[in-house]
Amino acid sequence: MIARDIVADVLLGLAVLIVITSSVGVLVMRDPYQKLHFVTPAALVAPFLVALAVLVQMGLYENTGETCVALVFMGVAGPFLSHATVRAIRVRQTGDWRLGQDGRAVAEREDA
Amino acid sequence: MAFVAAAIAMLVGIIPAGIVLCRASLMAAVVAYEFITSVMVMVLALLAQGFQRSGLFELAVLLAVLMFGSGLVFVRALERWL
Repeated sequence: MIARDIVADVLLGLAVLIVITSSVGVLVMRDPYQKLHFVTPAALVAPFLVALAVLVQMGLYENTGETCVALVFMGVAGPFLSHATVRAIRVRQTGDWRLGQDGRAVAEREDA
Repeated sequence: MAFVAAAIAMLVGIIPAGIVLCRASLMAAVVAYEFITSVMVMVLALLAQGFQRSGLFELAVLLAVLMFGSGLVFVRALERWL
């Protein structure tokens, strides 16, 4: 086994570790807001490590390029998707994502 | 071989998120769905690399693109109508 295989294995191991711990985080956290924090490592950090592993294994090759394209799409999509998800969760919980003039959400005002 | 093993390990690793997808509230399930989609992009890339099939990388790229569009549409539908 040559050095680049070892480096690629280590990178893949880290990526798998991140995915497993994030998955457990999604399971054990209480509400969707907290669960959403554990999507980012799996959607950005782990793909970066996988792309790095492919780069180390293959060098600058077609496979590396396509992995990087997927990584770019995930990097662009992740923040937008997280924002839209948080907004949807808040709208479903409170009726509106904005606060009222009294600093409370619609549902909080109706409860009071 | 390491790439295939990593793909299998990731598939095993998404089981906790799969439990959330099946049993938790609707919005928690959406979060789990986004998590699983992200992992599946990596799994497809890892399998393509593991089996040395360059053409299969298209699936990973395609899923990464669709993840954005479908996720936004899904979330907006949940926000407004469902």
